[in-house]
Amino acid sequence: MSDATDLLGTPLTDDERALLASYDGLRALLRTDLAPCAAAGVRAALAHLGVVVTDLGLRYDHLLDDGV
Amino acid sequence: MADQPFWNPKTETLPREQLRELQLAKLRRQVAWARSRSPHYRRTLRDVDPDRLRSWDDLDRLPFLTREEWMAGQETHPPFGELPVVGPEAAIRVHTTSGTSGRMPLRALDGRKDWSWAAEMWCYALWGAGVRPHDVGYVAFGYGSFIGFWGLHGGLEKLGALAVPGGAQTTASRVQQIVDFGATVVASTPTYALRLAQEAESLGVDLPGSAVHTLILSGEPAGSIPETKALIERAWGAKAFDTAGMTEVSTIVMFEPANQPGGCHVIEDHFIEQVVDPSTGLEVGYGERGERVCTSFGRSTTPLIRYRTADLVVKVPGATAGNGRTFDLYEGGIIGRVDDMKLVRGTNVYPGAIEAIVRGHAGIEEFQVRLEHLDGRDEVILLVEPHPALPEDGWSALERALATDLADAHEGLRFLLRRAETGSLPRFELKAKRLTDLRAEQRAAAGVPELSV
Repeated sequence: MSDATDLLGTPLTDDERALLASYDGLRALLRTDLAPCAAAGVRAALAHLGVVVTDLGLRYDHLLDDGV
Repeated sequence: MADQPFWNPKTETLPREQLRELQLAKLRRQVAWARSRSPHYRRTLRDVDPDRLRSWDDLDRLPFLTREEWMAGQETHPPFGELPVVGPEAAIRVHTTSGTSGRMPLRALDGRKDWSWAAEMWCYALWGAGVRPHDVGYVAFGYGSFIGFWGLHGGLEKLGALAVPGGAQTTASRVQQIVDFGATVVASTPTYALRLAQEAESLGVDLPGSAVHTLILSGEPAGSIPETKALIERAWGAKAFDTAGMTEVSTIVMFEPANQPGGCHVIEDHFIEQVVDPSTGLEVGYGERGERVCTSFGRSTTPLIRYRTADLVVKVPGATAGNGRTFDLYEGGIIGRVDDMKLVRGTNVYPGAIEAIVRGHAGIEEFQVRLEHLDGRDEVILLVEPHPALPEDGWSALERALATDLADAHEGLRFLLRRAETGSLPRFELKAKRLTDLRAEQRAAAGVPELSV
């Protein structure tokens, strides 16, 4: 797997690349000093997006260390 | 989007070879996660190198996990045992098994992503059964700590349907709410779907004339017993779809698709399901009956690897369903439990087979099976509660027909039929318990030695 392929080594579509960028962006946000309302919302969003990237076979991560 | 038949077209139609590759890729990560974080798996997977799990046969290198091990961990390390990779501080929910078996309930934690995933698995089933955002889903369930239909509720919300929580209601109130809210989808156990229909009839509510077009069933094997399913579909004037899961994974593992092929697809991009001979633990082939062994990729807090479910299933290739999915199919859903076969005077008796025969006869409200040791021999007693509208002379004909069908299906074994008074047999909202085996205590009381088989 690389940033350009899914777990099966298939090249990503444009939509999949955009989804992964959003996913990585949300994870990066959690490493910043967000207000509680923002951090909780980002975690909630990341929970759903984490499932999406797993569903599509793009990534398979456990996010407990991110509080998700 | 609403025309799309698959919730996840990418994986539901993935060629089998690629599906296996995807499963193995996830398995390697799940094993690595479990052995590095969970006290239980640190011990049991100590000698397993995740990177060497490269083929299906490599699954055999992973030890089984049993319910007994999970419960033993809960006893020695209360309240959650040694399987979880985190404590309750990292979780957002706790759920339990139903406790209907009389055993101590199993407790399980879920994190944020875990809970989104649990709802997601229900979305595969809901969408696959034809539920869409414009639907109104009524959840006929108590909403306690038992996990039950909590995930389905989340799934309805996730796909954009209106979820109506039917907790803390009488059965009559639920029937009324189903009508008042214009529910188009109702979720319940198969037994409770029948109970709701009986209540509607007594209240004069015309369920077949209501807006309900789909029933999502779970919690009992009866959802795939054709006779029970047909009875439910007639009573509701709606299509009924079976699903099955367990608290151990937090959600469902399989679902019946819209074309009702007589079984349930395994959600194989999120689970590895093996079918093994219960006595040897060796995997059996397509078409052979065996015990489900489940590996889940969903729950981060509590990895489940090669879990012996004790559910009996027959796996067949997904292509036999004829709907374009490549996910394997469990023919007839869950067909029983490893330990629910009873031996009566040399004949095997299965609760599911009895239910199929009983539900094939009109005019029966409820039934119970009792295995008793009477006058020196084992007997099967079938208590039958006829429909109140059954005419007085109808009972004799029903009794004769039932006795004949039961004997024919059980190598001539004669069942003793007894008529029960209206409303005298137990009704169930969750998992029904319709078989009681009193033989051991009766034999002991009579001083008869226990049988060795």
